Amino acid sequence: MGLNGAGKTTTIRMLLGMIKPTSGESYLKGEKITANSHKLWNSIGYLVEIPYSYPELTIRENLEIVRRLRLLNDSSAVDVVIEQLHLGRYQNRKAKNLSLGNAQRLGLAKAIIHKPDILILDEPANGLDPAGIVEIRELLHDLAFNKGVTVFISSHILSEISKIATRIGIIHEGRLIQEMDIDQLHQLRKRRLLINVEDKNGAISILTKEGFNPTITEDGFLKIISANAILHPENVNSLLVHSGYVPSLLKVEEEDLESYFLRIIGEMDVIK
Amino acid sequence: MKELYASLWAESLKVRKSQIFWITLSAFSFVGIMVGLMVLVVKYPALVGQSTLISAKSSSSLFMDNWHSYFELLIQLVLGFGLLGFGIVSGWVFGREYVDRVVTDLLALPIHRSTIVMSKFIIVIFWSFLLSFTIFLFGILTGLAVNIAGWSIGITYHYFIIFLGASILTILLCTPVAFIASFTRGYLAPVGFVIATLFITNILPIGIPSIIPYVPWAIPALSSGLLGPNFPYPGIINYIILFSYVILGVIATLAWWRFADQT
Repeated sequence: MGLNGAGKTTTIRMLLGMIKPTSGESYLKGEKITANSHKLWNSIGYLVEIPYSYPELTIRENLEIVRRLRLLNDSSAVDVVIEQLHLGRYQNRKAKNLSLGNAQRLGLAKAIIHKPDILILDEPANGLDPAGIVEIRELLHDLAFNKGVTVFISSHILSEISKIATRIGIIHEGRLIQEMDIDQLHQLRKRRLLINVEDKNGAISILTKEGFNPTITEDGFLKIISANAILHPENVNSLLVHSGYVPSLLKVEEEDLESYFLRIIGEMDVIK
Repeated sequence: MKELYASLWAESLKVRKSQIFWITLSAFSFVGIMVGLMVLVVKYPALVGQSTLISAKSSSSLFMDNWHSYFELLIQLVLGFGLLGFGIVSGWVFGREYVDRVVTDLLALPIHRSTIVMSKFIIVIFWSFLLSFTIFLFGILTGLAVNIAGWSIGITYHYFIIFLGASILTILLCTPVAFIASFTRGYLAPVGFVIATLFITNILPIGIPSIIPYVPWAIPALSSGLLGPNFPYPGIINYIILFSYVILGVIATLAWWRFADQT
């Protein structure tokens, strides 16, 4: 994950041997990457930035070119991937006449036609409608969890990443500033207990007396960030109920990925 | 070999499905036919009536009613119009990958990038030969149709060999154009370069004729022997200059695809 210009596409191009690192080296499967890593490319599928295709060729012809250049003997590979990406209706349509969503599907089809072990995707959800995003998410989920494919995605659509990724790295101005499993991310995200109650002032005085130090959010909810309250919201509920302030809402809310991401980036900028 | 075949297949599909392939083929056919028709005008000036422009052009020494001068005209066409056409072909085959932003699809494949580049060169050569033969074939057919005087198999064969040599050397001149298309990632610069070479080649005989044998783009014309007694056939040094230029174009293109950052 990273903002525009953070170095996401540059990282991907480096991993594919398209640009040389200005310092250091890049490796995939333990092998140092150069422009000549041809054996390695057999097991890598990729989609870099907006997936362009030969505009005057049809979807089928574009895929046939990739099949040949990937040295795949199985001529049914094109049919299989057309089926997999639901491109059957458009297979004889020229690439220049495709919608952005279908062009993206064609790009993904080119990336997975050879059943790679590693799939490197740059913003794969770009241009897709909500149904398309769900479809691609399910496809990637299936590839990762049922077929053992490692999927490496760059994105700034954080909500999408949070639904699919098992490990997340944040890059900012060309540097990896955090890398963690999704479970660890849950722990690092700020959590808070939100309460809605009719007599807010009465509830605040009771909660303050017990050391929970509530504040009021912009939406008018009471907010408690005390770890004790977040781990045991049932105790807070009992306290309020026994004091005559019955809550109409009580929930532990986790900071979303977007807020977390912006907070981390902001902290980095402050440190600088 | 399997890699080269796969890459050639892909390149040929791209060419066959492109508009520019059919446009160049039509343009070269048209030029071949037009040359024959100009001779027809020489034979029958009344055909163009009052058109002073066409009659002036056709009555120049370029268009004469005999196969010797007709074949020489076809050879001159492949040296000039051909150089422009083959340059456009070369610029398109290499530049389109960048213009259509599909070059990334060719960079991380089980096939070596050098194989991709060589297959592109092979396609450029095939396409250019096809254009060259199109001019010759349509030129002959139109020449026969308008009944130019003194045709024979012998004279056709004699000039075909010169035409073939001029075509080969002119086509080979396009290798640096491929590099310029790759380096500048587009069509405009390579086409501009070809026009500049044509311009320089045509202006030099007026300015500094002594330099002509050392200018790569002029050597195919010298080799054809059509420039007259003032311009002798090229020697070994001149051919070395020509082939060095051609090989440099191939090496520069291969190196660019292999070593340059492809952003």
